[in-house]
Amino acid sequence: MLSCERYEMPETLAEALALWTGAPEGAQLVAGMTDILPWAREGRAGDVELPLAIDLSRVAELNGYERHGSRLRLGANVVWQDFLDDPQLAAWLPVMPYCSVWFADDQIRQQATLAGNLVNASPAADGTPPVIALNGEVELCRLANGQLMSRTVRVEDFVTGPGKTTLAPGEIMCSVTVDCAEGYGASFQKVGQRRSLVISVACLAALVKLDASGNRYEDVRLAVGGVGPVPERLRDIEDRLRGEAPDMALIAELAEATADRVGSRSRIDYRRRVVPGFVRAALEEATDRARSARGAAAKKETVNA
Amino acid sequence: MPEIDLSLHVNGRKVTRRVDPGARLLDFLRDDLNLTGTKEGCGAGECGTCSVFVDGKLVKSCLMPAAKAQGTEIETVEGLARPGELEAIQKAFHKTGASQCGYCIPGMVMAATSVLREAPEASMEEIKERMGGNICRCTGYSKIIEAVALARDVVTGRATPDALEPERVGDSFIGSNVRRLDAPSKVTGRLKYAGDMVMPDMLHMAVLRSPHAHAEIVSIDTSEAEAMDGVACAITASDVPGTDGFGVFVHDQPIMARGKVRHVGEAVAAVAAENEVTARKALAKIRVEYRELPGLYDPEDALADSAPVIHDYAPDNVVKHIPLRKGDIDKGFAEAHLILEDEFATQQVEHAYLEPEAGLAYVDADDVVTVISPSQNITHHRHMLSEIIAKPINKVRFIMSPVGGGFGGKEDMIYQGMLALAAMKTYRPVRLVFTREESIIASAKRHPSRVRYRMGLTNDGRITAIKFEMLSDGGAYGMSSEGVMRKAAILSCGPYEVDNIQVDTRVVYTNNTPSGAFRTFGGMQAQFATESMMDIAAERLGLDPFEIRRINMMRAGSLTHTQQELKSASIDRVLAEAEKASRWEAGPAGMRGPERGDLGGPGTRAPCTLGARFESKAEKKGRVA
Repeated sequence: MLSCERYEMPETLAEALALWTGAPEGAQLVAGMTDILPWAREGRAGDVELPLAIDLSRVAELNGYERHGSRLRLGANVVWQDFLDDPQLAAWLPVMPYCSVWFADDQIRQQATLAGNLVNASPAADGTPPVIALNGEVELCRLANGQLMSRTVRVEDFVTGPGKTTLAPGEIMCSVTVDCAEGYGASFQKVGQRRSLVISVACLAALVKLDASGNRYEDVRLAVGGVGPVPERLRDIEDRLRGEAPDMALIAELAEATADRVGSRSRIDYRRRVVPGFVRAALEEATDRARSARGAAAKKETVNA
Repeated sequence: MPEIDLSLHVNGRKVTRRVDPGARLLDFLRDDLNLTGTKEGCGAGECGTCSVFVDGKLVKSCLMPAAKAQGTEIETVEGLARPGELEAIQKAFHKTGASQCGYCIPGMVMAATSVLREAPEASMEEIKERMGGNICRCTGYSKIIEAVALARDVVTGRATPDALEPERVGDSFIGSNVRRLDAPSKVTGRLKYAGDMVMPDMLHMAVLRSPHAHAEIVSIDTSEAEAMDGVACAITASDVPGTDGFGVFVHDQPIMARGKVRHVGEAVAAVAAENEVTARKALAKIRVEYRELPGLYDPEDALADSAPVIHDYAPDNVVKHIPLRKGDIDKGFAEAHLILEDEFATQQVEHAYLEPEAGLAYVDADDVVTVISPSQNITHHRHMLSEIIAKPINKVRFIMSPVGGGFGGKEDMIYQGMLALAAMKTYRPVRLVFTREESIIASAKRHPSRVRYRMGLTNDGRITAIKFEMLSDGGAYGMSSEGVMRKAAILSCGPYEVDNIQVDTRVVYTNNTPSGAFRTFGGMQAQFATESMMDIAAERLGLDPFEIRRINMMRAGSLTHTQQELKSASIDRVLAEAEKASRWEAGPAGMRGPERGDLGGPGTRAPCTLGARFESKAEKKGRVA
């Protein structure tokens, strides 16, 4: 059972930082609360008493998203359901709807934030692989001598182990900035014990872009989660495929080698069989989707012409 | 206790309250506003019985602090329709028979409402996907999904509102689609389960449970807990005035651990306090000194000569042995051309009804000790409690509240005695609501069992003899074990006539969670073994699996395993229907090679995928183009 001495809902970042800087020992920053409430139960953390919970969900500066050139800044209050319900986000981040639909369920996605998923740093987090694949960075803000300071950290460097990040005392994650991947075909693979509300045993995000001819990979992004202490980009495969024609035999060969990436401490044999299958399936699916995206775009041009 | 001012709109009305800053929206709705249509099934966001709309978005109210709802518009199941009326979706649930125990239903109705609002054109697949956060244990979802599709058709004008009206019943109710009388109370959230009930001056109970599987209780000191502000009483086995002990067959279970604990999660002491938080805090102040004893965790070990004894009355740890003899198995095996031997094991299973155990007890003006609970066996409970609390039967009353799913799991009186004791000690109403974790740790499970099977057959597929030995893990207490073993023995060799059988079903005590009644009552474990043997035999003899069953099936005039002569038998018709419905490709198992033609036809469930909403969006775009 969770109990709170104080529950604050600051409306500006300055208020939130001031509260967090002066927070008593044991205070927590909270957003969707969808992870902390189930955590504070028998068999996990048990009865938890928080001296202060600082709820960030009404901090105006953390709302919404904005595009800067090829990069997209997602405020920390962007919730998982936004990736399904907002067509603009879905177009710019084509991997996110596929990831989101496997994340918890429609109701929890209304509360849970992408930033919260990153900051929790679960090795099985669904959000980290796609964000890493999109060269994600997080913006961490704090107050220093009354001044707002911020730093930017690559998500690959931010998550350092299970539940461990480089978030420093007094810091708040304000945003997640990722590549816009318009025109990419995407896929998200996940396996767990049921369809909704399931924590990944392993998951994998893939994005591919075809060149102007539509016959070769211009870009490939792959990242895997749940098979080691931290999620990983599969850069060797990305590099090998860039410039190549989509070739299922080559993909199968590259996929086979990924079994050795599995560094988990449990269910190793199972994961070793899952990961190559994911790499193959994700690349095939993402390639098909990249082709049909090109087809749809071409059709649109014809219609407009 | 700190408090915050909360102001919001609930079902269109402004509400202002001072609340505990740690309270969940669920607690606020249920406890402060008495809106008990919103249920708690798990408290961890898994089940969806607590779904409500917050600013138009469906969320799980067990995962939202009340403070977070400051200034929002909340809509609960009570707010969907005007009092006494039903919305289309509620009528559809009524029409299709989607509500059974009803405990998941308010949440299901809310999730369905969300589907109709967010995606009124949703396909069946998309409906299933969007309802994925809500669990039901009774229906298998078919009727629920059917109801949502029906409401969708009415709301979108594809069907007329008449479709929601009851079907006309002709001369006979048999063969007619009859609506359930209790559905309106369930689809509106009006029905009160035990955990929804409140009485003036009511206390809340929390239970201290054993961390050990087998340990002697050296001492229990409740004085510090009892001295706490807000605590009305603490109870232990020493408060029992009569002859302690309950159970469906053997009264081997004290209402709280007496002298020793026999499984992890066994109740050791309980506290009744002004609120749940105080009661839980008081548990931490109870001092229990244990001396750990060697435990038994495997039923085979329980039968060993030097095994620890769990109950003094049963030095061999055997709860019950049911032997069944028919014919002469030596003769039968001598006639066999083929003898097959195998072993089959099944695991422990939790019922996982969506309503966790809950009860409310009070002593009425005539000194009648009254217990309201979703007990599946109130008359027996009443008789047992009268002995335990040493009161004549006319001073003990049990009221059965609506059962939010039982499946056999609510046959055992595992908490009603504690409530009665606390009510007697305080003369105040006392309520106990299990958490999901508590329900899983303390309630009976399906018996894990092992069957050692020996089957003799002739070359033409006739069974000549069966030797069937089942060993079941009864866990720490007897509960329904004896009945389960009887049923397992009676059903052991399946619906097949076998002249020579030797069946032994045994259940033993261990220090595992007690096993008890669970749908099929021992039948499933036995049939898993028997039907597997039938398939193995068919394969070995080169027979079609249906054929070998027809060769051996019971007919009118057959003698059952307990030697009852059957006047009629229906297995021939069951087999014929099953063969037809499965589009069975006749022939022995080996004849098809790697591919068979009877898989994947209409009615076959598609593999588990998600993303139906993307496909329907694509379809919609396609239609526009």
